[in-house]
Amino acid sequence: MTVLSVKNLCKKYEGFALKNVSFDLREGEITGFIGRNGAGKTTTLKSLLNFVHPDGGEIRFFGREFAPHELEIKQKLGFVSGGIDYYPMKKLKTITDVTRRFYHEWDDAAYRRYMELFGLDERKTPKQLSEGMKVKYSLALALSHHAKLLLFDEPTSGLDPVSRDELLDIFMDLVQNEDITLLFSTHITTDLEKCADNIIYIKNGEILAEEGLDAFLAEYKVARFSGGVPHDPRLVGVKRERTGHTALVRADDIAALDAEITDADLEEIMVHMEKE
Amino acid sequence: MKDLIYKELMLAMHPAAILFLCLSSMLMIPSYPYFIIFFYTCLGVFFICMSGRENKDIYYTMLLPAEKRGIVAARFLLVVLIELLQFAAAVPFALLRSAVYSGPNEAGMNVNAAFFGFAFLMLGLFNLVFFTKYYKNPNKVGVPFLLGCIAFSVCMLFVEASRFAVPFVEHYLNAPGAQNLPYQAAVLAIGAALWALLTAAAYRRSVKSFEAFDL
Repeated sequence: MTVLSVKNLCKKYEGFALKNVSFDLREGEITGFIGRNGAGKTTTLKSLLNFVHPDGGEIRFFGREFAPHELEIKQKLGFVSGGIDYYPMKKLKTITDVTRRFYHEWDDAAYRRYMELFGLDERKTPKQLSEGMKVKYSLALALSHHAKLLLFDEPTSGLDPVSRDELLDIFMDLVQNEDITLLFSTHITTDLEKCADNIIYIKNGEILAEEGLDAFLAEYKVARFSGGVPHDPRLVGVKRERTGHTALVRADDIAALDAEITDADLEEIMVHMEKE
Repeated sequence: MKDLIYKELMLAMHPAAILFLCLSSMLMIPSYPYFIIFFYTCLGVFFICMSGRENKDIYYTMLLPAEKRGIVAARFLLVVLIELLQFAAAVPFALLRSAVYSGPNEAGMNVNAAFFGFAFLMLGLFNLVFFTKYYKNPNKVGVPFLLGCIAFSVCMLFVEASRFAVPFVEHYLNAPGAQNLPYQAAVLAIGAALWALLTAAAYRRSVKSFEAFDL
């Protein structure tokens, strides 16, 4: 089942535009949304929820158009931009008390369970929480109203490696055990290699790739040249390294290339593609 | 809507706005430009919007199952509540003042029913100017407040000046206590009606602006 379907989303700013952004999210999968800073990740996510008004395109959550069904769709959504950065001086207890009233399916028992699981103290304020704990509190709120789709805008940025890994474990548990669908934007590509099923890659406001992570990784190889780099149109984003040069090459095109060929990881694919 | 109003009271309400309600007691000062009391009401509204910006109130509220129209409506209801409470707090002090002090106000208009009518008009103008501008971009609170203050002040100066320029205002509307009450009551009724109309117009414009605003 398609949980979120985006078709030809367009938004024009001075100096930047989202151009016909289209993608689908399938139920019970984790999708990573990658792209460098300013590529359009946050604008896309904000457009989904009408935080910014798209100039064109169609957005459907759970098969329904967003604008006429905004309230019912938001009942099933959790959106987190980093950790919580609102009302930093209010106690979590107060924020929760306000938030819970908006959700028909608010589950106090689930809330208590997640607060305990994440080690969160309601008497604290967001300002007193670490970045990781802020994300966990957002997560606790979203899970307590039984959100079916979680949209995260760079949830792991600013977290230490241990906290990031812990959070990714939670994400995987949620998808496996609770059938939640998860989209998260990040530029920390190693996070996606650990947990993502699919990848959406955006560059300069355009979707360059939308497919399964393994299939995406299998499409590319890295060619390493110890000496000079031949002028070859098959080589993408040639860049200098300590011991020579590297370039990205499509897996189908590696034949007859006089180079050391290795598998490409997400970061290598992104770095080389962004050099084009 | 009741959930949004609960949010306004529990999260958005600034303590200063409540504190300023106590300034209705300034009516006990023997002579003072009493319209200033209602300027503090405007300042309270400004504090709420300013702290809302610092606390990312709109961002938080937009994440909730709430429509933009409802978000604006809840803020207006909070402001209407604060403004009416300022009047409610002022009336007992006005009565007490007239009981313990019979002299005229040397520094401005006397406290009577017409005074409250003019105060309604000033707050209505402030609401119209401030909120119409504020909801075009809620990240900018200072300029809308400045414009709102100008609207309030011009109206206040105009009312105070009219006491000297128009004998009717001085003799009938500035009468201490309940003299010429029908005239004063008419000004109170017209002032309150204008406040309601101006605030309703501000709400309609604000909804339109806020719907078009990109966060």
